[in-house]
Amino acid sequence: MEVIGRASDTADAGSERELELYFGPQHLGMVGNFSITLKVEGDRIIKATANPGYLHRGFEKLMEYRTWIQNFPLVCRVNVIEPDSMEWVYARAVEKLAGIEAPERAQYIRSIYLEMARIASHLFGLWAYSNMLGFDTPAQWAMYHRDLLLDRFEELTGGRVYHIYIWPGGVRRDFPDGFADRLVKTLHSIGGCVPDYDATFFNNRLFYERAHGVGKLTQQQAKTLGATGQTLRATGMKYDIRKVEPYAAYDKIPWEVPTREEGDAYSRVWVIRDEMIESVHMIFKLLDAMPEGEVYNSVPNPFKWRIPPGETYVRCESSRGELGLYMVSDGGDKPYKVHFRTPSYPHGLTILEKLLEGASIADVGNTMISLYVVAPEIDR
Amino acid sequence: MISSLQENLEATFKGVKVTAPEDGRMSVSVPSDSIPVVLRYLKGNGLDHMALLSCVDWIEDGKFELVYFLTCYMPNNTDYAADQKLHVLVRTQVPRDNPGIESVIGVFENIEPYEREIHELYGVHFKGHPRLTHLLLERDYEVPPFRKDFDTRQYVEETFGSIPPVDE
Repeated sequence: MEVIGRASDTADAGSERELELYFGPQHLGMVGNFSITLKVEGDRIIKATANPGYLHRGFEKLMEYRTWIQNFPLVCRVNVIEPDSMEWVYARAVEKLAGIEAPERAQYIRSIYLEMARIASHLFGLWAYSNMLGFDTPAQWAMYHRDLLLDRFEELTGGRVYHIYIWPGGVRRDFPDGFADRLVKTLHSIGGCVPDYDATFFNNRLFYERAHGVGKLTQQQAKTLGATGQTLRATGMKYDIRKVEPYAAYDKIPWEVPTREEGDAYSRVWVIRDEMIESVHMIFKLLDAMPEGEVYNSVPNPFKWRIPPGETYVRCESSRGELGLYMVSDGGDKPYKVHFRTPSYPHGLTILEKLLEGASIADVGNTMISLYVVAPEIDR
Repeated sequence: MISSLQENLEATFKGVKVTAPEDGRMSVSVPSDSIPVVLRYLKGNGLDHMALLSCVDWIEDGKFELVYFLTCYMPNNTDYAADQKLHVLVRTQVPRDNPGIESVIGVFENIEPYEREIHELYGVHFKGHPRLTHLLLERDYEVPPFRKDFDTRQYVEETFGSIPPVDE
């Protein structure tokens, strides 16, 4: 992106040429309850100040008042769009503190379930992004395909949006009869539409011209600003927690980490597309390799469950980047301290503010959605 | 990497205690005034990702424990090494009355919102932080709301009237 002169460098600094503009939370280009205060000169942004807090529900504090199992409904509401990795980090942290392990079949089921969630979340992201750029058709397709996956979630867990399926000690129940076949069929019908998506959106010249060079980060900048997930992988680094520190069954099958080199909005969205395709292949491989057996090692009575004192930090690759959970137990029936490290936090605060400096107003939504920011993750 | 880092840290800095509770994890206890130098040293030794800053309120001991989570990005773009598995938890304690510590924005730029959040929710002052303004909340509270002596239920009762009884 070209370097533009700043108003503060000119003799007119502080004059009426600078305006303060409130962008969001009620704005078409804004995802969720989040706002940015922009200082603009004409169409150019001089300074952007992220303003989160609209969704601050104090979950981490509320969790200190609830027992280990009672916390699940709060945990999955931290990220509305992809609650499943939240369940995983929480369940895994409880398992680590309590010293229990899930059976092998449950590890495979967890991986399949997390990949389903990743595809559903990416489809939602694709809806938001293409809709924002004015591509209504692929946006509606993405919503429809996400809905097909939600049907599978409903069948497996009973819930469409919030599932609470991963449980300390395994998963709540095994696959229903014929579930694997129906899942494969669903994934085939989604995967079969990839050429259509490519033709209407990804290979569309309008998408290229609208997204190329927008919100560009170098790899060095991405590292300095704490980027993870697609934002980092779009700059060429193959950093993915599923490979770096494999969990569930991710080390049991071969798979690739998609990357791009340019670091702009265009490459971030392409990484998301390639990841969805890789996830579909991963689910096929996991289904083939899945062993028979138990899916649940029983845990003590949840009403009387006391977990030995200790602390742990668990991380996983959510659809947005590194998701971590720091948990401290003081030996009681409730957590002493819970702290989520959510990927949107650095993306939506530090990186967004940096990228918007010098950008044009028309690129605010473009930049923000391509960074894949989800407001409830920032506020918690 | 862990064993050499452990020896070097204890030899270089006074008052630093290093333990390795499990494979790939390292816990470094540091006096609060040497946090910036220790973090700068660790960053120079490859731990270039500041993943999280957290705070635990140990109300019975009268201390806040600040925990900095460091991990490694990949130095090159081709292979995964054991280094990326390494987590280092750097911890320090500050007193609960008038808590304060040096800001480390000069070392890790991306820690800015984390420090702001801890300041807002626990009332820990970060010296040298350029904008310790509100991040998630709208106003100041008498007791910062994430401290253990802030009772959420009592606050709800006082602010919104009575809360429904639990036992019915």
